[in-house]
Amino acid sequence: MIQEIRDLVSEKLKKLDGVVALRKTDQGTAPTLFQEGDDVSQLVLEPRYPVAKTVSKLQKRFKDAKFGVVARGCDTRALVEMVKRHQIDPDRLYIVGMACSEEQAETCYCAEPAPDLDPWPEADLVGDPVPGAPPNPMVAEYENLSREERWDFWNQQFTKCIKCYGCRDICPVCFCDACSLEDPLWVEPGLLVPDFPMYHLIKAMHMTTRCVACRQCETACPAGIPLTVLYDLIRKDVGNLIGYIPGADADSGPPLSLTLADAPIDSELAK
Amino acid sequence: MTNSIPEFEDAKCVLITGSNTSEAHPMIGTRIMRAKEKGAQVIVVDPRTTQMSMMADLHLKQQPGTDVAWLNGVMQVIISEGLADQEFIKERTEGYEDLEAAVEKYTPEYVEEISGIPAEQLRQAAKMYAEAERASIVYAMGITQHTSGVDNVLSCANLAMLTGNVGRPSTGVNPLRGQNNVQGACDLGGLPNVYPGYQSVADPEVNHKFEEAWETELPDEVGLTVVEMVELAGTGEVKAMYVMGENPLVADADINHARESMKNLDFLVVQDLFLSETAEIADVVLPAASYAEKSGTFTATDRRVQLVHPAIDPVGESKPDWEIIQLLAEKMDAPGFDFASPEEIMDEIAALTPIYGGFSHKRLSNGNVLHWPCLSEDHPGTPYLHKGTFSRGLGKFHGIDFTEPAESTDETYPLILTTGRIMFHFHTGTMSRRSEKLNQEVSEAYVEMHPKDAEQIGLNGEKKVKVSSRRGEIKLAARVTDRIKPGVVFIPFHFAEAAANALTNSAFDPIAKIPEYKVCAVRVEAV
Repeated sequence: MIQEIRDLVSEKLKKLDGVVALRKTDQGTAPTLFQEGDDVSQLVLEPRYPVAKTVSKLQKRFKDAKFGVVARGCDTRALVEMVKRHQIDPDRLYIVGMACSEEQAETCYCAEPAPDLDPWPEADLVGDPVPGAPPNPMVAEYENLSREERWDFWNQQFTKCIKCYGCRDICPVCFCDACSLEDPLWVEPGLLVPDFPMYHLIKAMHMTTRCVACRQCETACPAGIPLTVLYDLIRKDVGNLIGYIPGADADSGPPLSLTLADAPIDSELAK
Repeated sequence: MTNSIPEFEDAKCVLITGSNTSEAHPMIGTRIMRAKEKGAQVIVVDPRTTQMSMMADLHLKQQPGTDVAWLNGVMQVIISEGLADQEFIKERTEGYEDLEAAVEKYTPEYVEEISGIPAEQLRQAAKMYAEAERASIVYAMGITQHTSGVDNVLSCANLAMLTGNVGRPSTGVNPLRGQNNVQGACDLGGLPNVYPGYQSVADPEVNHKFEEAWETELPDEVGLTVVEMVELAGTGEVKAMYVMGENPLVADADINHARESMKNLDFLVVQDLFLSETAEIADVVLPAASYAEKSGTFTATDRRVQLVHPAIDPVGESKPDWEIIQLLAEKMDAPGFDFASPEEIMDEIAALTPIYGGFSHKRLSNGNVLHWPCLSEDHPGTPYLHKGTFSRGLGKFHGIDFTEPAESTDETYPLILTTGRIMFHFHTGTMSRRSEKLNQEVSEAYVEMHPKDAEQIGLNGEKKVKVSSRRGEIKLAARVTDRIKPGVVFIPFHFAEAAANALTNSAFDPIAKIPEYKVCAVRVEAV
C-alpha cells in the first residue's frame, strides 16, 4: 500500500502545490508538506497522526493553493466537519484516502475504518476497506456503573491530568482562536490538578456534534485518561437525540452551530 | 538515577519524597501513575499536598528539615519487625552494625516528636515499602537542598540497601535531576573535582591522560563550587566569572548577598538565550542558541543520552554554546578546540570518558537511546546500575544521626519557609515567563499559607503580604490553602520581582556545598 501511495503522490505533485503527509527521516517523523521534487520515499503512514488542522492552516495561509492530503477514515470525517465549519475549502483539496488495516481498526475500536470519499470533488482510494471493529468494551462497563460510581471514576481519572492541553491541541476539529479552557471566567488558571469537572467537561461539551471518534486525544494524553469513553457516549447521545453523526454526512450542517447565527467561529474561508 | 525512567511502571511500591513529581517531572509522574494503576502502592512524604500525594496510598507530612529522622524511623521499624533483607545485607554490604546502632533510638514515637509524622503512619509506610517485591525511592531537591543534604541522600541509600532494593529492575535510589541536561553537565566535567566521566582531577594518571590528549598542562587541585565562587567574588579573590545558561541572581540562596558579591567582580560574562537578571549586570553578554537551534546530545536524569536536531537556524546573532566557546578559544590562541561539529566533540568524549565510551552520533541516530555506562561500541548500555556489585564492591551503610536545620523559628520569624517549583514555570523563569500562555496560567509570585497561620496575622481571603527573613523581604500575593502544613509557608522561586531567594539561607551542606533552600525562618505580615 505504501508504494502505491508514494507513486500516486509523486504523480499528483506534478499538478498540486503540495501534499500533506507524514515524513520520516533519521531525525524523527512529522507531518510535512511534500512538494514536487521532494523525496517521496520518506513518506510514511505510521504513526497515526491527525492532519485536518494542518490542511486548514495551510489553506488559510496560501489562499490560492491547491493541496492534497493522505487521509485515513478518521481524517476524512474530521475534514468533513471542518468543511462544515468553514475551516477547509473542499474545492482546493485532493484526497488520497487510505484504508486502515483490520488490526488498526481493532486498536482504534473504529466503526468506519475506510475513508468515505463520496463528498470530495477529487479523491482516490488506496487499499482494501475492512469492516468496522467492535466498540470499546470500557463503554459498556461504564454504562453499568451507578451515578456515584461514574463520578468517582472520572474524579479519579481527571485527578491524573497535568493540564498539558494535549487533548485539545491534537484534536483535528478543535480550532477556535480563543479557547474557553484558557478563559479564567470558566476555568481557574494555574491550578494543578485543573478544575474538576469544568476543565474536562467544557472540552467534552464542545465535542458534542464534533467528535469524529479518531481517539487521538486519548493516544496523546500522557496521563492515560480514557477520554473516549466520555466522547463515545456523547456521540451516542447526539445520535439518539438529534440523529446527527459527526463526520458521516457532508450535506447536513452542524446542528448546534446552525442555531447560533452569530457564533464566534472564524469564518475567514466563508467570505 | 540508579534505574531508568520506564522501569517505574513495573514497581510495586514507589516512595516519593522531596519531589513534586507531576509538576517538576511530569513525564516521570505519569509513569508512577501508571504503576499505581497496575497495583503499585505509592507513598509520598512531603509537607505539602501535591498531585502525587492526592493519589498516593499514604501521605506523610513531615516538618521540613527532619528527613534523616523519619528515614531512620522507617529503618528502625523495618529492622525491629524483621523485614530487612538479611541475605542482601550479608552478600552485598558492609557496615550494617553502624546503621543498626544509629537507627535504634528512632522509634516511630520519637520520630513523631521530631517530624510531626504520626507514629502509626510511619509504621505503615515502612511495611509498605519493605514488603514490596520491587520498591523504588524517588527524590529531588526536597532531599538534597538542606545543610543535611548528603546525610539525607545517604539515608535513602541505606533504606534501599536494607531492603535489597538496589541492582534490580524497578527498584533503586532515584534522584530526579531538574534541567534536561544537568546530568550531562555533571557527567562531562561540570564539577570542580572531576574530568568527564567522574575521573578525579587529583588522580595523577587521569591528569596525565587528559594532558596528553589536550596537549597542555592541567592543574591537579580541586576547583571551586558555585557557592564558593560567589563567596570569593565578594572578598575579591575571584576576579572574573563566565556564567552559561544559569541565572544565579534569581536562583542562588540569599540573592541580595549574591548580587553584592557578583557586583564586586572585575569582569562578568553571561551566555544565555535572554537578558536574564544576571546578564543585566554583566560586562559582556553572549547570545546562545536554544535547544531547537542546535544539535548535540542531552543526558536525562536516568543517564539516558539522546540526540537532538535543529528545527531552525539560530536566531539573530546567537550561536550554539560549543561554537561560542570555540570562537573564544580562537581569540585566546588556545589549541585543541578545532571541531567541525558536535559529532566530532562526541567522538573525543567517547575516547576520553570510559562511561561514554560507546556513544557516537551514528549510534544515537534514528531515535536510539542508550544509558551510561556504555563502555564500547558493542556495549548495550546500562538501564539500571549495581547489578551483582557496587562500584566500590560492597555497599556501605552509614549510621547517621538527625541534625537540626541551620535556622530555626523564633518569635520574630515564627514560620518555616520552603521553596520549590510549579507546573507552569521553569526555574528562574528566564524562558517560561516569556511565554504568553504560561504567564496566562500563573503571572505572579505567591505564598501558600495555611488558614490557621493566615488567621493569626488577620488575613482574610487573597491579599498582598510581606514575607521577611533575616536576609531580606518581598511583597507578594497570599494563597490561603490547606495544601500546606500549619507553621510552614511555600513560595515558588520562579519570580524575580518577588524572589523567594531574597529570603533563603545560604548555609550549606559541608560536603556537597548545596544551600539550604528548603528551610529558613520567616515572618508573614498583611500589608
